[in-house]
Amino acid sequence: MHIVDGALSSAVVIGGAVLTVGGLALGVRSLTLEKLPAAGILSATFFVASLIHVPIGPSSVHLIMNGLAGLVLGWSAFPALFVGLLLQAVFFGFGGLTVLGVNTLNIALPAVLIGLVCQQGIRHANPRIAALWGALAGSGAIALTTLCVAVALLLSGQEFIPAAKLVFLSHIPIMVIEGLVCAAAVYLIRRVNPTVFASLEGHPA
Amino acid sequence: MKRLFSTSIVALLVLAGSASSAWAHKVIASGYAAGDKIEGEVGFSNGDPAINTTISITAPDGRTLGEVQTNAEGLFTFTPTEAVPHIFRGDLGAGHVAEFRMEVSELPRALQGGTAGAAPTPTASTASGPAVTASPDAAALQAMIAQAVRDEMRPLKHEIAAYKEHNSLQTILGGIGYILGLVGISFYWLAHQRLKKQPPQ
Repeated sequence: MHIVDGALSSAVVIGGAVLTVGGLALGVRSLTLEKLPAAGILSATFFVASLIHVPIGPSSVHLIMNGLAGLVLGWSAFPALFVGLLLQAVFFGFGGLTVLGVNTLNIALPAVLIGLVCQQGIRHANPRIAALWGALAGSGAIALTTLCVAVALLLSGQEFIPAAKLVFLSHIPIMVIEGLVCAAAVYLIRRVNPTVFASLEGHPA
Repeated sequence: MKRLFSTSIVALLVLAGSASSAWAHKVIASGYAAGDKIEGEVGFSNGDPAINTTISITAPDGRTLGEVQTNAEGLFTFTPTEAVPHIFRGDLGAGHVAEFRMEVSELPRALQGGTAGAAPTPTASTASGPAVTASPDAAALQAMIAQAVRDEMRPLKHEIAAYKEHNSLQTILGGIGYILGLVGISFYWLAHQRLKKQPPQ
């Protein structure tokens, strides 16, 4: 999922960095005092989740958890995921510093989009239906992320269909797992503390 | 909120604990001189070799020096002919690119001596009377020893590569610490902003 240094053309790297800076600006602006603890926790969750690799066939894939970040944080998912990616690049050499912009965009933009789409769904009166929307958010964010990765590779000159297929197919198990995790998280939040989603809606600082 | 917070922290710690055995999904590639050839290895950091991957070899000025294929174990051999730094690059697909560079000093010794021309000759021939380098038997013996040492070293090299990829619990906790610190700084900053807006009572 993390694209490494040197795999992309410089135009894609620069474009990704510029868009990410825009996303970060929007995200930091929407990051309120109330959202900050959640942003920290989700950033840490993302940072650690990427270390858990699920071996599937010859390859292995890891959890990303960007759907949940998007649901809870909205645009603030950008800074949260950026921090996680930065630390992964520095500490573990996942991805790299030059492709940080593209990687952040690939992971945070689907999070934000999914958050916008499923926002209403997870507030549904029935927690079970809300959990279904959570599942959709969890797996949808991964699907969108694989699409973004494939587009980044396409713009750098790789064949789109085989690359997209490879990335998408290898992440189907992750989509299932993240869907379940995200549904469980939404269900738990709705049961334990239904005000979490409501309280995180943009209060101006 | 408080309960959510504490359950999340417990979950994080559990995750961090189970992550120590995880593999990084990174590409590793390395090469070393073996006789008059360069032997190299390309694979993923979880130990999977990169099978049948085309490795292109270029000089620093962009000239193509050659192309080789990796075998079923992710190994390749390349016979260098020029004493220039070699850049090896393999595309493993899906955004995984392996690249490493070998300087002239890392190339096979024969090549270094051959093209440098005026390079000082090995001192071994002058050091002792019965020169051991001259006879073909000795050369064969040397090659055998080199081969044996390489074979012995290979598992060690694997182990060192795997060790480098190991994510220790300390590093993971350190990363989480950084995130906590950033949250703290942001808290400070946002609270500061909010206080500035409200007139002091």
